[in-house]
Amino acid sequence: MAQIEQEYQGNVILELKEVSKTFPQVEKNSDPRRHGVLDRLNLRVREGEFVTIVGTSGCGKSTLLNIIAGLDAPDSGSISAKRDNKNTGKAERVVIFQEGALFPWLTVTDNVEFGLKIAGIPKELRKEIASNFIEMVSLTRFAGSYVYQLSGGMKQRVAIARALALDPQILLMDEPFAALDVQTREILHEQLLQIHKSTGKTILFVTHNINEAVQLGDRIILLSPHTRGIKREIVIDYPKPHDIDSPEISAIRRELLNELQEDFKFAKSHP
Amino acid sequence: MQKAILEARKQEYRPDTTDIANVVLFLAAFVGIWQLVSNIGIFPSVLMPTPAKVIETIARLVTDSSMTVGIGVTMWRLLAGFAMAVGIGGAVGLTMVKFQGFGKTMSSFAVGLLTFPSIAWVPFSILLIGFNDFGILFVVIMASVFSVMTSTYGSIRNVPPIYIRAAKNMGASGFALLRYVMIPAATPSLIMGIRQAWSFAWHALIGAEILITTLYGLGHVLHVGREFNDMSQIIAVMIAIFAIGLLVDRLVFMRLEEKVRARWGLNQHNE
Repeated sequence: MAQIEQEYQGNVILELKEVSKTFPQVEKNSDPRRHGVLDRLNLRVREGEFVTIVGTSGCGKSTLLNIIAGLDAPDSGSISAKRDNKNTGKAERVVIFQEGALFPWLTVTDNVEFGLKIAGIPKELRKEIASNFIEMVSLTRFAGSYVYQLSGGMKQRVAIARALALDPQILLMDEPFAALDVQTREILHEQLLQIHKSTGKTILFVTHNINEAVQLGDRIILLSPHTRGIKREIVIDYPKPHDIDSPEISAIRRELLNELQEDFKFAKSHP
Repeated sequence: MQKAILEARKQEYRPDTTDIANVVLFLAAFVGIWQLVSNIGIFPSVLMPTPAKVIETIARLVTDSSMTVGIGVTMWRLLAGFAMAVGIGGAVGLTMVKFQGFGKTMSSFAVGLLTFPSIAWVPFSILLIGFNDFGILFVVIMASVFSVMTSTYGSIRNVPPIYIRAAKNMGASGFALLRYVMIPAATPSLIMGIRQAWSFAWHALIGAEILITTLYGLGHVLHVGREFNDMSQIIAVMIAIFAIGLLVDRLVFMRLEEKVRARWGLNQHNE
């Protein structure tokens, strides 16, 4: 742990200190993610790092992401991000939601341009930026399509392009591929790693899928409803994409799985 | 693939030949029965003119320009009244969204007035404003403004929160959020409300024109028909009223609704 701390000196892009969040008791059957509780959580993220956040439902992983995104305010604690002067006026931490949250009244191009338009970027420049990122996610052929004409995987790719177009410092992904079939997810994993490599963006990726977390992350953070914060932190220092069948990665996967099962049992015995 | 979809979308608005044949058949049957009833002579011919006689009357009303002027004046009143209702209703509706307390109170008040028979505003309007265009406009506005109000309020409140979260995260706030996210997201439901408001305005206008007698307007021509016991003029004007209502609904509102629904991909179950 001390070693990790040392390595992080200097190029920390995001730092959370003693962040706590509670939600008032909500009625049964409500969205379990809303129960998320965090207790004095500390987290540092390095520039260009790909961090995956896993945990059982209700561990507060989406809550954490929303707090970092500025969509939710913590009860206490502080969040500091390194400011990038180039990014004046534009969003610095952009979320990619599970459902994509694309706007159905806009075409693919207009969706990707949305944040730029809000930031007051002139039309020609907007068009150019949008078409670059649409090309990056290989959807040029669908630039004029409306959202309903796209498959689930295509929608998430548009969401990624829309986020990248804003040139955010940090990309926040909230279970972005959870609703996709296995093959599509595999393809998107590859594309995402490619994009991470070529853009060097810092990515925080929330998932409940351990395989996904292990495959993509430079570092995996396990949140637990038991400890109300970070329970385990594992740095994977192997070339990507991580082969989940290799003995080293497999071992990490098993370890995480055991931890998760413990939390799951805990959650069952403490309803 | 994309082209095929766009092509299919274009064809959706075009009525096919069987539709037209059905309408022609229905009209022929209607006119036939009408002719038959007039021929049998249950009613005196003054009270039940033949279709030919009514067509003759329409021709007369058009040549002496009482019909054309009537339609012109009526349509002008409709447009002016309806535009004011949309403006006032929209503005109040947005204010209701902005101020929750006011919204709740105004909403129940507006729902009460929504069911209030518009014709019951006529005596009030005559005494307050008098036998003139403004008296008629007042009734038209009162008939439709509450429908616009409640529909603006309801549609915007029902915008999926995910769109708003996504937009806020990309830097949208205040007026931009309203203009580029809330209003477009509410559009499919708003159009339905505005269509209903238009039909309320149309009902109220003809009623008001009959009761608040001025020198022009379709309602006035109808009123003159009654004064002179001229059933064929009454039927001629009724046909004009029917045709205008149908045309505006089909050519303006249905097209608009279809267009929006197609763009959002809401028509796919019809394919």
